[in-house]
Amino acid sequence: MKFTIYQESRIGQRKNNQDRLAYSYSRDALLMVVADGMGGHLHGEVAAHICVQFVTEAFQRDARPMLRDPSLFLSRVLTNAHNAILDYAFDKNLDEAPRTTVVACIVQDGFAYWAHAGDSRLYVVRQGQIAMHTRDHSRVQLMMDQGLLNAEEAAHHPGRNRVYSCLGGNHAPQVEFSKRLPLRDGDVLALCTDGVWGPLGDAALTAALSAPDIMQAVPALLDRAEGIAGPSCDNLSMIAMRWHDDATQPHADAISTRTMALDNFTTQLESFDTSRTPASRYDISDDDIEKAIAEINAAIHKFSK
Amino acid sequence: MPAQTNCPLPAGFQLDQYRIERQLSLGGFSIVYLAHDREGSPVAIKEYLPNSLALRKEGEFEPQVSDEHMPAFRYGMKCFFEEGRSLAKLMHPNVVQVLNFFRANGTVYMVMKFERGRTLHDYIQKHRGEVSERFIRIVFTRMLNGLREVHAHKLLHLDIKPSNIYLRNDGTPVLLDFGAARQTLMSDQPILKPMYTPGFASPEQFEHRDALGPWSDIYSVGASLHACITGNAPQRSDERVKDDTVVPLRRTHAAHYSAQLLDTIDWCLKLDPLARPQSVYSLQKSLIRRDEDGDAVHAGLFGDLGARLKSFIGRT
Ligand SMILES: Nc1ncnc2c1ncn2[C@@H]1O[C@H](COP(=O)(O)OP(=O)(O)OP(=O)(O)O)[C@@H](O)[C@H]1O
Ligand SMILES: [Mg+2]
Repeated sequence: MKFTIYQESRIGQRKNNQDRLAYSYSRDALLMVVADGMGGHLHGEVAAHICVQFVTEAFQRDARPMLRDPSLFLSRVLTNAHNAILDYAFDKNLDEAPRTTVVACIVQDGFAYWAHAGDSRLYVVRQGQIAMHTRDHSRVQLMMDQGLLNAEEAAHHPGRNRVYSCLGGNHAPQVEFSKRLPLRDGDVLALCTDGVWGPLGDAALTAALSAPDIMQAVPALLDRAEGIAGPSCDNLSMIAMRWHDDATQPHADAISTRTMALDNFTTQLESFDTSRTPASRYDISDDDIEKAIAEINAAIHKFSK
Repeated sequence: MPAQTNCPLPAGFQLDQYRIERQLSLGGFSIVYLAHDREGSPVAIKEYLPNSLALRKEGEFEPQVSDEHMPAFRYGMKCFFEEGRSLAKLMHPNVVQVLNFFRANGTVYMVMKFERGRTLHDYIQKHRGEVSERFIRIVFTRMLNGLREVHAHKLLHLDIKPSNIYLRNDGTPVLLDFGAARQTLMSDQPILKPMYTPGFASPEQFEHRDALGPWSDIYSVGASLHACITGNAPQRSDERVKDDTVVPLRRTHAAHYSAQLLDTIDWCLKLDPLARPQSVYSLQKSLIRRDEDGDAVHAGLFGDLGARLKSFIGRT
């Protein structure tokens, strides 16, 4: 396999990053997964974390170096990830299991297979156009389907974050599976959370994902989404993968898995490097430093009397 | 980012009201110096200097921190303050005493009472395989007085291990390095994160951080006791959870130590937090218990240390 891949997650203006994402590949199979823990719910980021970790570990167990049946793998692994979240809630005596959206994609034998629950999306961009994308499991999407809302109204609808399917929670997820899609040279698959697609329109997404270099286009796209969202910016995360025919002379950053050992995996689990999170969250001002020192010295003197 | 070593401040350097004499240690997060205050009394000064984020070059005083690392550097400083805060609240003969906290050279410093002696780690290395039962019972019972005080203030140490237990020359132990308090804040700070030492950390420190409690420090005490007896930490607890290869000491070391002591250690090292002693006090009770030979550890150890220990250490 030959492809170029880029992933990034940003905290936006929120206190926590509840998005989790990872990709992993063996010689013959590639997994990409994105999960968005649900903030209003207890332990949302835990749900997202369990989901991504569970799916990644299952992939590494089964893709040696190929999955027997990618669709079956996706259906089994997402059900089990859902159960792993419920187990966690049970262990911790939580009243309600935490919840997360998920979108996961497998590429193998030149075909892509994906599945999702909730409103994290997968886009297929082909020849400068969105060839397909997942349909959100949200109330607004249902209303749009029934002609009750148009896209513009949906984008501002107060209930736009309400999803009716997800992993965890009190209801069994309704996971939706794609047909298998034969990939063509230059196709881009992009998985992202609503923090990315929410502020941007299709045009901006298409333009960025059609650019020759996704390694530059994706961070620029995230900048743009952050800029538009402003102070209410949600966590935003994206994995984008451009597929290359084995014959083409691809981009310098492309990965070729041809020479990988059969039992080898390369995995990238987003670990939220501080360098990209806004300084304000971690930074303490000179004033804070002085205060902390004064407080410590006051305690020292109080106790050393 | 490549691991780099930071240059210590030079001997004779005037740091605030203190004069640096020499470097005592270099950790991943800080440098500790021996220095003298204005009256000439010795102090130990801990300088916040995480080597993954800040670099002090030869001949310079201010460490360089890149813009990229500045937020993380400042954040780590917050955690260094946590150590100061924890220690400042405690006033106990078995917990190192903080004397001052100040800012200089673009970083921060914690001044502690200088203690003469060596770490339990050094002691174990020197006396491999022949650390006596009496020594173990006495030192740990005393050290646990300090830990009890820590827990009484609703703090956890979370980095108890032989190199953070200091033995004064008179044989009394002092708990050092409350740096692990920083961890609690740090769950999503990969650059600064793994500060604990694997073989001594409890399983819940790896996995279920919301299950942390006094029993977590007790696991580390058990691992330190284990090191006294075998010379090494037990298998890392995150691996034990998957495949436990730890053999009860009762089966391997019964020739040299009483069954009661070995059982106590095995008790502390239970993987299930609820199966361990739940409080320092219950562990102390077990450590001072008269063992089969009738060799009792003085109950007075709960209070002040007698001259016994002094002569005892003097002999070794
Ligand atoms: N108050 C003190 N008196 C004498 N020596 C000290 C004192 N504090 C620290 N030391 C010496 O410095 C060493 C390191 O100290 P400490 O454990 O506090 O820091 P560290 O392990 O380097 O810290 P970190 O884990 O934060 O990098 C100790 O093992 C001890 O030898
Ligand atoms: Mg230490």
